[in-house]
Order: sequence, then C-alpha cells, then structure tokens
Amino acid sequence: MNTELKLQALVDGELDAREVREVEALLAQDAQSAALMQELKWTKGALVGNDAELALPETREFFWSKIERTIAIEEKKAAATAPAERSWWLKLLYPATGLAAMVAVMFVVSGGRSTDGADSESVPEDVNAVSFRSESEQMSVVYVADENGNFSPVSEEVKNAPEADK
Amino acid sequence: MPQPIDHKTALDVQLVAASQAGDMLAFEELVARHRDKIYARAFSMMRNEEEAIDLAQEAWVKAWQRLKQFQGDSSFATWMTRIVINLCLDQLRRQKRTRAESIEQLDEELGGVERQMPVVATNPSEGLERSELRKRIDKAMNQLSYEHRTVLILHEFEEMEYKQIAKVMNCSIGTVMSRLFYARRRLASLLQSLKKEQQS
Repeated sequence: MNTELKLQALVDGELDAREVREVEALLAQDAQSAALMQELKWTKGALVGNDAELALPETREFFWSKIERTIAIEEKKAAATAPAERSWWLKLLYPATGLAAMVAVMFVVSGGRSTDGADSESVPEDVNAVSFRSESEQMSVVYVADENGNFSPVSEEVKNAPEADK
Repeated sequence: MPQPIDHKTALDVQLVAASQAGDMLAFEELVARHRDKIYARAFSMMRNEEEAIDLAQEAWVKAWQRLKQFQGDSSFATWMTRIVINLCLDQLRRQKRTRAESIEQLDEELGGVERQMPVVATNPSEGLERSELRKRIDKAMNQLSYEHRTVLILHEFEEMEYKQIAKVMNCSIGTVMSRLFYARRRLASLLQSLKKEQQS
C-alpha cells in the first residue's frame, strides 16, 4: 500500500495500531502528506449526512399498484411451474416409457428369442427333433431322430446370405 | 396465529413479520415508509429517473419474494437498500459492457492522475448552507464515473468497509482503495471549482 492510500486508510479507520503510529510519524515530518490528509478529511466531512434526499416522483397508490401487479404475475408464473416440481416422478416417466418401448420393439424384432448367440430349442416331443439356431452365423438347423434315436440335420436355413451365395 | 396489527402505527419489525406471514397490507406499508429512500439510492447510482424508478420497483418485488430470508440481522431499510444497490450494480455492469470507457477512466488506469491534482488548501464546504452543500455534492457526484461514484456512496453513505465494497463490486480491496482515493480527490477539486464559480 502506498503512502497516499495509507493516509486514506487512516482517515477511514482501516489501519491497525502499528500502522497508525507509522502514518502519524510520517505526517509529523511531511507537510505535503499532512496537507493531503487534511483534504481527505474535508471531503469525508463534507459528505457526512449530505446524501441527496429525493422523493419518488410517483404517487403511493400508483407505485404500489405496479409492485402488486408484478408480484401477482410472478406468483402466477411460480404456481404454474410448481406442480411439475411437486410431481418429480413425472420427469422419470418419459425416459422410462421410452426405454420400455425400445425393449418391446427389440422383443418383437427378435421374435421373442434370445439374441446372445447360439441357442437350441426342442420341437414337440412326438416329432423327436431338435432345432439349432445361431444368430452370429445367421443359420438354423433342424435335427430329426431316426428309429435308432440318432439325430441328423434335415434342414438348414441361412438368413441374409450374401447375394453371391444364393 | 399472528396477532392483527395496526399497520400505520406498527414498527418495521412487526410489519416484516406480518409480511412474512403473507400480509400484503403490511408489505404495502413498508413500501410506503421506505420507497423514497430506496428510490433516492437507485437515483444516486444510476443518475436517471426512469431507470431509478424501475429498479426501485424491481427491488420491492424481489424483497417480497425473499422476505423469508430476512432474519433481522440488519434493519429492514438496510436490507432493502442492499437489494437495490445490487440491482443497480448489475444494471451498471450490463451498461458498461455496451459503452466505451470514458477518457477519465482510461487516464486513471494509466495511473497517477489523482496524484497530479493540486491539494485543495481550503475547506471547500466551509460556510455553506446544508442545502447548498448537498446541491454541490450532487452536482460533483454527477461528474464522476459510476465506479468512483459507487465507491463513495457505499463507503460514505452506506458506511460499508473496504472489504464489503470489494465484495459487492466484485473487485479487490486495492481497487476499492484506489477508486475511493481518486473519487475523493476529484470530488474535492470539483467542490473547490464550484466554490470559485460562486465567488466570481
């Protein structure tokens, strides 16, 4: 802090005891600082209690009516947004509905089957056959048992085979 | 159940408590009591009647909305004045972004203008009637930049300490001190000039 700002801080009572002693010692020796100090004190003194006194140039009724109307508008706005805040769970409804719809679509597209790779399923018992399907290989194979109980593939279906292979 | 109060004779604290409980008439009475002071502070900072009226109105609406936050740590008038000061500062910052810096401010930033001013050797307010002194102070304040005027208002009229001013003006304590110093020196010089004008 430079000397001038220290002088000001002294006028404003913003210095600690040690700093006050230092600045007072300076003032005792330096006439220019003392003159500046005097000017700062005069300016401060001139302002004390001399804040401009002004009256609002509108009648009490008119000014209040504007405030009252604005408050009413703001409260209406707040009330309109308040129900959404109360039913916070509604905010979760939209993503949850979207997620459910997505799962349903995937279920329909996959025909209700698992899509995690190969799986097998049994056909009715009286046929004595087993089917195998591989999503990764995009193929299905049906094995039918002969009279000795030996299974052999009887049909093979390859989905989305490249054109050249057809 | 709060006791019914006579709004005209009730103390501010009673009116505040009633307002906090939703009594609009109590709040209207508070507005009526303090509206001039709030407007005067807005005008002293903005130097524009229309803006000052709008900001004073906005301050009262904000006060109603935040009334529950008022704990009574200061007087209601002080709390209200802080609200309007903050609104004025926001507005002045917005305006500053859209206007060029004044030569005076640039000079100040380059440094040392206030140091080149001759020291005022006689009390520029001596022998003046209070009303005349107020008029001159107001005239001189009008010639200061908003940053300098604001630090003077906050320090001398609102009796805020350097650190409080730094907080509301969003600047360092050093900047507050330097602005305050410049503002005072400039004000002394302006008051001196006004005195000389009067004498000649």
